[in-house]
Amino acid sequence: MIRFAWLQSRTQTLVTAALLTALAVTATITGVHFSNLYHSLVGHCQTGCDLATSDFLSHGHFMQRMLDLVAQVVPALFGIFWGAPLLTREFETGTYRLAWTQSVTRSRWLVTKLAVVGTATAVLAGALTLTITWWYRQFDVLDSNQYAVFERRDIAPIGYAVFAFALGTLVGALVRRTLPAMAATLVGFVFARVAVQLWVRPHLIAPLHKATSLLVGGMGFEISDGTVHVITKGAAPANSWEVSSNLATSSGLTPTTAQVSAYVHQYCPAIAVPPAAGQSVGKAPDPSAFQACQSQLARAFHLVVSYQPASRYWTFQWLETGIFVALALLAAVGCYWVVTRRTA
Amino acid sequence: MIEFHLDASSGVPTYLQLVQQVHQALQIGLLEPGDRLPTAQQVVASLAINPNTVLKAYRDLERAGLVRARPGLGTFVVGRLSRTDPEAQAKFRTSMTAWLRSARDAGLTAQDIEAIYRTAFRDSLAEGEGVA
Amino acid sequence: MTVALEANGLGKRYGRRWALRDCSLSIPQGRVVGLVGPNGAGKTTLLHLAVGLQTPTAGTVSLLGDRPGSGPAALARFGFLAQDAPTYSRLKVREHLTMGAYLNPAWDTAFASARTEELRLDPGQRAGTLSGGQRAQLALTLAVAKRPELLLLDEPVASLDPLARREFLQTLMEVVASRSISVVLSSHLIADLERVCDYLVVLVAGTVAVAGDVDSLLASHHRLVGRRRDPLTLPSDQSVIEASHVDKQTTLMVRTDAPILDPGWTVTPVTLEDLVLAYMRRARDGAVELSTGLAAVQ
Repeated sequence: MIRFAWLQSRTQTLVTAALLTALAVTATITGVHFSNLYHSLVGHCQTGCDLATSDFLSHGHFMQRMLDLVAQVVPALFGIFWGAPLLTREFETGTYRLAWTQSVTRSRWLVTKLAVVGTATAVLAGALTLTITWWYRQFDVLDSNQYAVFERRDIAPIGYAVFAFALGTLVGALVRRTLPAMAATLVGFVFARVAVQLWVRPHLIAPLHKATSLLVGGMGFEISDGTVHVITKGAAPANSWEVSSNLATSSGLTPTTAQVSAYVHQYCPAIAVPPAAGQSVGKAPDPSAFQACQSQLARAFHLVVSYQPASRYWTFQWLETGIFVALALLAAVGCYWVVTRRTA
Repeated sequence: MIEFHLDASSGVPTYLQLVQQVHQALQIGLLEPGDRLPTAQQVVASLAINPNTVLKAYRDLERAGLVRARPGLGTFVVGRLSRTDPEAQAKFRTSMTAWLRSARDAGLTAQDIEAIYRTAFRDSLAEGEGVA
Repeated sequence: MTVALEANGLGKRYGRRWALRDCSLSIPQGRVVGLVGPNGAGKTTLLHLAVGLQTPTAGTVSLLGDRPGSGPAALARFGFLAQDAPTYSRLKVREHLTMGAYLNPAWDTAFASARTEELRLDPGQRAGTLSGGQRAQLALTLAVAKRPELLLLDEPVASLDPLARREFLQTLMEVVASRSISVVLSSHLIADLERVCDYLVVLVAGTVAVAGDVDSLLASHHRLVGRRRDPLTLPSDQSVIEASHVDKQTTLMVRTDAPILDPGWTVTPVTLEDLVLAYMRRARDGAVELSTGLAAVQ
C-alpha cells in the first residue's frame, strides 16, 4: 500500500520538490552573496557598526518580501492542494470504488495515504523552512527581534503545513467536493493560526515581569476628550517578546486611566493641553516641560513589563509545532472515523 | 471446424441454435466424423455467450450420438445424420404444390399462405422442443 | 460454501427514501447472474452493500459467506467493477497493473500483461485518454487479475458502443469459461444480459420482483391467449403475472410448473425480455387484480 500511495502522490511531490529546489537555489545564490556582504560590511567592523548594520539590513528587500510570502503561504497551500483533494478526487471521479475493493482494507488505505503524503508534506515544509531560516540568519541576528519572525522560521512552519494537510483531508472527507473543500480548508487554517496566535500562545508559559523606571525608554502622551494617556515603549530586554507593559504605582497596583490622567493634569499642566480646534496633533510641548513631567511621573509610577525572554524561543517553537502536530493528528483521527464509519 | 453464429431475433433459444447449426453442417457435409467442434471457450469468445449454454448444446448433441467429448482433446463428430431420402423429398414437394394450388383457388393471397406456413412451422417446432 | 451472495431483509435508506427495502436473496455460486431492473431500482446499492462500499440500514448481506468489509482476506475473494469503470485518469495503464500487483496478494501478473497485450492497450498510455471500451476492459482486467472467486459488475456495458459491448462480454465469458468464477452483473437492459446469464434477479423499486435459474424461469412461464375470461377461473397452481383484456380476448402470462391442459388457451413460450418486462410492470403497478373482489381484499 505504501508503494501505491507513493505511486499516486509521486507526481505532485516531485513537482513541489522541483519548485522548492528552484527556490532553494535562488536562496542559496543570493544567500551566499548576502553572506559575503555581511562579512565585508559588518563582520570586521570596529567602529560605527550601527551604520554598517543598517547599511546591510537595507539590502535584499525583494528576496525578503518573497521569502516572507512563501513562508507564510506555503503551509496553507499544502492543505489546499494536497490535503483537500486527497479524498475528494477519489469521490469526484468515483475511483474510491476501485481503491476500496482491492485487497486492502479501507482503514489501511487511508492511514497509509495520510502517512505517506503527510510525511512528504513534513519533509518538504522542513526543507523550505530550513532554507528560509538559513537565508535570514545574519539578518535575524542583527535585527534582534526573533519573536517577530517566529512563525516564519525554524520548525513552526512544519507544524503548520502538516496541520493544513490533515485539516484539508478531513474537510475533503466531509465535503467530498474539491473546490468547497479547498475554500473551507483555507478558512479553517487561517482561523486556527489566528486563534493560536491570539488566544493560546500568550498563555502557554507565564511571562516574566520586570519593573523599570519611566526614565528609561521612550514615552509619549495622547490626549483624547480631555483624558491623557501615557504611552511607554522599549522597556523589554533585547530579542524578547514583550507581552504587555503597564504603569504601576509604588505600591504595585495598576492605576486606572482616570488616575493617570488626573495626575498628569495636576502635575504637568503644560502637557495636558488639548490640540487647538480642528487639529489632531497638539503643539509640541517645551522639551524641558516634557522632561520635568517625565521625572514627575517617574516619581509616582514605574513600568512593569511582562515578557518572554529570548531564551524561551525554542521552547515556544516546540510548543507551537507540537500544538499544530497534535491538531493534525486530531484531524487525521476524525478523517479516519469519517472514512471508515460513514459511508455514502 | 465450423463457426457458430446467432440470430437474436429468431426467438430460438441459443443452445438450440448451436445444435441446429451442427445438424445443418452435418447435413450438407461440412462436418464429418472425426472433425473437431470448436471448444467451449472458443465459442464463448466469439459469440459472447454463457459457457454453460455451449456445454448444454454439446451435451444435447452427445446424447443424440452425434458427437463425443474426449477429455483434454475436444469434442469430436462421431455420428452421421441419415441423409433425407430423395424420393420422400419429391413426394412432399408434390403434395405441397397441390396444397398451394388449392389455397390459391380458395382465394388466399401469397401473404396469407406465408403466414399460415410460418405459424404451422413454428407450432411444429415448439412441439418438437416440448418433446426434447 | 455454495452461496455467492446472500441477503436477508436487506435495506438501505438515503434520508427518507429507501433505495433498497426488505431484499432477500440467495444466489448460488458457479452462475452468471443477471441483476436487472430499471434505473433507480437499487442495483448499484445492492452491489455496493455486497462489496462493503456502503453499510446497510437494515438486514444483513454476505458475500461468499463473508461479512462485507470484514478484512483483507474477504476483500481478496471478489472482484468489483463499479459503474462507469472508474480508473485513475492520470495513471498509466502500466501503473494500474502495478497498483493491482501492490494491492492484491494473489495478483496474476501473467494474465494482466497477456490481457493488455491482447486488447492492444498501450502500457504507457494514461487511463484518462482511453476510450470507454478500453477503460472498461482495463477495469475488467484489474478485477479479474485479482483471481477472485466472484466477480461483480455494475452496469459494465451501459456506456459502451455496440462493438465495445460485444467485445467486453466476449472477454468476460472467456474468463468465466477458463476460470471457475461466479459472476453477478447488473444492467437496466435485459438484452445486454440475455446471452450471458443463466440466473436472473429482477429488482424493481428496491425489492426483488423475481429471481431464479433462467431455464427454469422460461420453462415455467407461459403466455396464454384465449377468449375473454376472468383469470380467477384458472387452476390454483397457475399464478398470473400479467393479464390484459380486449373486448373478446384475454392474454395472460402465468407461472406454473404443471402442464397447461385447458384447450381453450393457445399456449406460447415467453422470451426472457417478455418475462422481465412483465415482472417490472407488475412491481410498478402492483399485483394483477384478479377480480374486483380480490382487489378489495388486497
